[in-house]
Amino acid sequence: MNCGALIFAHNSREVDYALIAIISGGLARKHLNVPVTLITDASTEAWMKDSGTYQKAVEVFDKIILVEKPKTTNARRLHDGASNKTVPFVNTNRSSAWDLTPYDRTLLLDSDFLIFSDRLNEYWSVDDDFLIAGTVTDIYDQKRLGYHDRYVSDTGVHLFWATTVMFTKNERSKSLFDMIDYVKKNYEYYADIFRFDHRQFRNDIAFSVAKHILDGFTTEAKITLPPLLTALDKDILVSVDTNGKLTFLVTPNSDSEFCAATIKNTDLHIMNKQSIIRNAESLMTLI
Amino acid sequence: MEEQLKKALDFSNYRQTFSIQRRTLKEKIEAKLTYGCNGGIFKIDRSLITFVQLLIDQGRVSGVPLIDANDNPILIDNLETFRDEILDRYFTSTLEYYEQYQDLKKSRSVEKLLDL
Repeated sequence: MNCGALIFAHNSREVDYALIAIISGGLARKHLNVPVTLITDASTEAWMKDSGTYQKAVEVFDKIILVEKPKTTNARRLHDGASNKTVPFVNTNRSSAWDLTPYDRTLLLDSDFLIFSDRLNEYWSVDDDFLIAGTVTDIYDQKRLGYHDRYVSDTGVHLFWATTVMFTKNERSKSLFDMIDYVKKNYEYYADIFRFDHRQFRNDIAFSVAKHILDGFTTEAKITLPPLLTALDKDILVSVDTNGKLTFLVTPNSDSEFCAATIKNTDLHIMNKQSIIRNAESLMTLI
Repeated sequence: MEEQLKKALDFSNYRQTFSIQRRTLKEKIEAKLTYGCNGGIFKIDRSLITFVQLLIDQGRVSGVPLIDANDNPILIDNLETFRDEILDRYFTSTLEYYEQYQDLKKSRSVEKLLDL
């Protein structure tokens, strides 16, 4: 069985997702020792060529697959420490991962999930066609997380995190990805049923609802990938040293006061994308 | 950003930073104690080690089904090899945990905690 990782990256005017994907892909390749494929679009590829990152992308990625950039009106509020901005967000084609992946067993990663250990290698041979992260672990304290970090809505089902997904390419996983696509296309309908906010499309919700339906309208939260150790977007990645130590400013009460923390050799979901980009040069030296 | 970091260091409560460092250290060690085998996932802990050793002591060393972390039955062909693997991982990881925790405890300032 050939195994590999898959990352989607479609740049917006505000965020260079391709650059983040190169870092994420490079770290996944280094620590998991598997090939990594990038799914992107022509305009993002053109930007990589203009900005001088394309050569690095060719080195990091086993394959670069171009798809049509999804048309979306999706927007999200991205925090960068205390400041924030609402930006366009192109994330609606994740359900095509099943069709696009060149691997038999695929680890689908969000570009802001940085791998610094081989922990996920334990899961390649797990006897389950579809695995997804079931929970998040806040680097500071679980108290910073809200109800909607655990459930899709006030009265809805368990929220899984599509930040890390592992699947075997077969008919059973195909039906799940078809269902995710169906939920995406009928997002307002399912928002009405499961009582979540339909104004911003979230892959986490589409994956959670599809999984819930195909599990027979039950939630089997146990068979999952490891919890995602997460630095929230109000936390700031300040520096990355050559030994792979990441220094963060962590805001205990989501306000303007910070304390400091370091993390090393641990997989980490960094929601503050701008701070990844500010440290891109240092992160690149680690791949 | 440098000024912001300095402010943060001034503000930082030693216990807060210690708590985060301990939390992330624990997360790292837990990752090392996850063991994939024969399609199952095992959380290596004292009860798994003790149970496996009990089975071996009772002479059950091959073709033994164990319940994994996901409550799935997993057939272990050679339980002694399995025991050796989980024991090795357990001792390596807990020793690392011990050493790094000692380093944390000895660090009496935020700056020293961050230097680890």
